[in-house]
Amino acid sequence: MKENVFIVHHSEIIRKGLSLILQEYFKMEITQLSSAKDLSSFSAISGSTLILILEAQADLNTKAIDLLKKNNDVYLVGFYGETSEEHFDKIFDYQLNHYSSAIQIQKLIQVIRQSGSKSKNSLQDNGELTTREKDVIKLIALGLSNKEIADKLFISIHTVISHRKNITEKLGIKSISGLTVYAIMNNLLDIQDINPEELI
Amino acid sequence: MELFRKEDKMSSLITRNYNLLPVINRFGIRLGFKEKTIAEVCQEKKIDTDFFLAIVNTYTDESYFPEAEFLSFSPVLLIDYLKNTHKYYINYVLPKIERLLNQVLQSCPENCSSLKMINTFYQKYKTELLLHLKLEDEKVFPYIINLYENKTLSAEGSFIEVIENEHTNVEVKLSDLENLIIRHLSPNYEDNAMNEFLTALLQFENDLNDHARIEDHILITQVIEFEKELKK
Repeated sequence: MKENVFIVHHSEIIRKGLSLILQEYFKMEITQLSSAKDLSSFSAISGSTLILILEAQADLNTKAIDLLKKNNDVYLVGFYGETSEEHFDKIFDYQLNHYSSAIQIQKLIQVIRQSGSKSKNSLQDNGELTTREKDVIKLIALGLSNKEIADKLFISIHTVISHRKNITEKLGIKSISGLTVYAIMNNLLDIQDINPEELI
Repeated sequence: MELFRKEDKMSSLITRNYNLLPVINRFGIRLGFKEKTIAEVCQEKKIDTDFFLAIVNTYTDESYFPEAEFLSFSPVLLIDYLKNTHKYYINYVLPKIERLLNQVLQSCPENCSSLKMINTFYQKYKTELLLHLKLEDEKVFPYIINLYENKTLSAEGSFIEVIENEHTNVEVKLSDLENLIIRHLSPNYEDNAMNEFLTALLQFENDLNDHARIEDHILITQVIEFEKELKK
């Protein structure tokens, strides 16, 4: 999952300072905004882990935050001006202040890391195509439809689709023409089997 | 990345993101800014500053997405810019990429059939991309301009939904091309020639993605809103 960090604070010193501290640990894009108003311009982000570090006493633009929450995992960090622990807002998941120590900021970083690590174990493959997948690729390259491939290999359409999905994941190639080029480059198919006009 | 603001120096724009060089050129802005701010240069060149900022920020921050209500400029302005971008692709970028690809082909000593397949695939990609640009230039943009001039919906229906789908198709082919080269092609070529070609291709992909984002997020959003209003 993609991670986005926003630092929203009207003080440039704080924005840049916080961003520097975070970037010592992470190689990630950090967007710095001077006002929460500008958050509205990012409401189309979806499927991301968002960490919003917001100036606690300022206007929060809850409308934009609610929009972001619809399509993302949003973590709100309140950034306070003082150390007094009287009035922490419930809206925030975490808090920092001007005097937060490196350890406290590291804790925040851990949160960011944990939220990002969830999705990382989904991609594991040895990259090699199975014999069946090679059969399927050949027939795709010859221009057969899913139904025709299913009939030819005596398997269900559902299985054909699942083979195609695996092939695309392993090779990083989606288009029929791209798969055709792959098939020829790897001698799964002879160039003469294909009409060069239709080739691609 | 911090968003650009109108009081920032124009020179800082380039030092912070040199990918914006061709972008400012498309606005008719050239180097040698001295100490002028973005607003000052825009004023001099009679460019709508908000419009300029929306564009450079879209190029700079992937997730930047100005809301329709904040967009004070006319889509017709945007179309001029997009057309300029198309010209830049057709007249400069694509010929350059093709020249670099030819150098790769020439650097292949023997058994170059795989490389030739890559070339065929590239040609196919290029044809599709040109068709797509042509569709936008000749059908979609005139449709939008007409919509804003006459303020009536066309009887033939909207051209708008077509574009997003088209973008995905063209993007898929380019990413396939890159994966074929990076992951699957045996390196039977001179490395520097291939590096130059691939770098140009990857850079083009970035530019194209930003371009598509401007169309999808700014232009289409605006037009769909406008169509909705007209339907009322």
